[in-house]
Amino acid sequence: MSQALDRRAARLLPDDAHVARHDAAVFDLRRRRDAAAAEVPDWEALRERAAALKRHTLDHLDVHLERFESRAVAAGAVVHWARDAAAHNDVVAGLLAEHGATRVVKSKSMLTEECGLNAHLAGRGVEVVDTDLGERIVQLGHEPPSHIIVPAIHRTRGEIGALFHRTMGAPAGEEDPERLTRLARRDLRTRFLAADAAITGANFAVAETGSIVIVTNEGNADLGTAIAPLHIACLGIEKLVPALADLPVFLRLLARSATGQPLSAYTSLFTGPRPGGALHLVLVDNGRSELLGDARHRDALACIRCGACLNTCPVYRRAGGHAYGRPVPGPIGAVLAPAIGATREDRALPQASSLCGSCTAVCPVKIDLHEQLLAWRRERPNRGRAESLALAAAAAVMARPRLYRIAGRALARVWPLLARRWPGNPAAPWLRARELPLHPGPSFTERYAAAREEPR
Amino acid sequence: MSDREAILGRVRRHARHAAAHPGPHPVPALPGGFDAFAARLRQVGGEALGPWPEDGLGRRVAERARACAGAGGRIVGAPTATAWLGPGPWETAGADASPSSFEDVAVAVLLGSAGAAECAAVAVEASLALHRALPFLCRHLMLLLPVPAIAPDLHTAQARLGAGALAHPAWTWVSGPSKTADIEQTLVYGAHGPLSLDVVCVG
Repeated sequence: MSQALDRRAARLLPDDAHVARHDAAVFDLRRRRDAAAAEVPDWEALRERAAALKRHTLDHLDVHLERFESRAVAAGAVVHWARDAAAHNDVVAGLLAEHGATRVVKSKSMLTEECGLNAHLAGRGVEVVDTDLGERIVQLGHEPPSHIIVPAIHRTRGEIGALFHRTMGAPAGEEDPERLTRLARRDLRTRFLAADAAITGANFAVAETGSIVIVTNEGNADLGTAIAPLHIACLGIEKLVPALADLPVFLRLLARSATGQPLSAYTSLFTGPRPGGALHLVLVDNGRSELLGDARHRDALACIRCGACLNTCPVYRRAGGHAYGRPVPGPIGAVLAPAIGATREDRALPQASSLCGSCTAVCPVKIDLHEQLLAWRRERPNRGRAESLALAAAAAVMARPRLYRIAGRALARVWPLLARRWPGNPAAPWLRARELPLHPGPSFTERYAAAREEPR
Repeated sequence: MSDREAILGRVRRHARHAAAHPGPHPVPALPGGFDAFAARLRQVGGEALGPWPEDGLGRRVAERARACAGAGGRIVGAPTATAWLGPGPWETAGADASPSSFEDVAVAVLLGSAGAAECAAVAVEASLALHRALPFLCRHLMLLLPVPAIAPDLHTAQARLGAGALAHPAWTWVSGPSKTADIEQTLVYGAHGPLSLDVVCVG
């Protein structure tokens, strides 16, 4: 289970140098978040307010969803509902076909990743260009994003330069981030201007007005939607907030939590289509309404996809996003996976945590992430036969003091063997990156007995 | 059963209808005014000019725009902005101009509706922008913002847009120029949108 995570991590970050670089790059975002939060005198009150707003919204999600739909329709948008990923993909493909759209620009949407939209559309003759620079890099590299805010954080400038040389005519050996960005800017400009449809996600959906809010630093969502005649916005049903006045609570938390910026460069609100354009909103369930019925885990639906939990998690920082095998990795990915994922590996993700609780401390909407991971472990132990047998044996030994002492003495004898590397050594996973500590010698019981026998 | 009915049915079953709306957030007093706004804007990669009086505003903006545009660079102003500034080196293209006609614009001059000092954000309403793509296609963006429109925090600033928001179908909070740090976390301006931003504070 987390062996699969180990294997994938080893592929993404194959050596200590890669791990250290990734760790430092990701943790830098955590430091920036801390500095930004320190400047906000009402930071904790904001978190509390955001958590309460999300609790209220989820408690009344049916009311807010229906209000959002009717206001959005009144403003001229078309609202579609999709019960799962397949339904979502069909809706989007259908809309594109209806409008004769084959050249699509897409801004970052973790939901479309979750639904596998790009692959679905590619099979239907639709060219989808991801316009967020990080997303474009992983798209050209034929790999999934490894971070929800900085999709290509696992790539070095050299790797990106080589990629741009292969795909965009960058000079061989070009590594300068500014020059590479300018190249991408020129290339993507032509695609924006030629696009016949723009697909976006939505960071928030405002029930009061039927509006959607899209946040970027690059301006790619705005550029795409301003030019293409068709705008399709795909969002999970949990993205709702009740009213416009509630938005600043989340906006003041979001960018600071994600990258330490006071606000992202572009925070856009759209109500209805632009003049001469069409706006289609696709509301996606894909397991969310089911999760709403899970009293212990429904709070995970409050997530505003800031990435703060990823940036602080020691497992994520040292394993990388691809290790999780999920579109959204990190602690929130591990919390959502047993509910929204289908595979046995997905359900095992809560095992891959040291439960340090750092994620809970940084979550802007106060999801009790590490406690939810523990709750999943209790509810879905997800153990293989070998592990179950080993745990049963351990329980039997620990319940019998004499057996326990015998086992302890046997372990002391075997210990030096375990510290060496040999095929089949059960301590092998530990030994890959660490040494076994020195055995402490006689057990406490033995020392106590010996001390008692000594003359006073 | 339609997807809509299936989804809403499940949501209705699971919605507890218990937690009340927590009410408006009590915003603390934050530093406001031009100085706080300008300091923050510099941090996020933009530049605050002024505060300049309305008298002579057109001349000053023209000088700055020419400097940013360089020789032969196109300067385009939205009608609402150029009406305020008077005649100058700016074109006022028609509202039906196609986006590609703005592709080579060096400097765009637009009106901002409100500002928030804590995050150096300026609200740009789409209806005032001539074309939605203009503030994103230009190389250098200049926003005109009356100093009294600068609120200390985002809550207050957005409330000022209030009724206007519902009347105007689209707005963008602009905080600094377009940027990315996707390549080894190196900050680069002008990812897709403008490489630089001036906010001309008036009053």
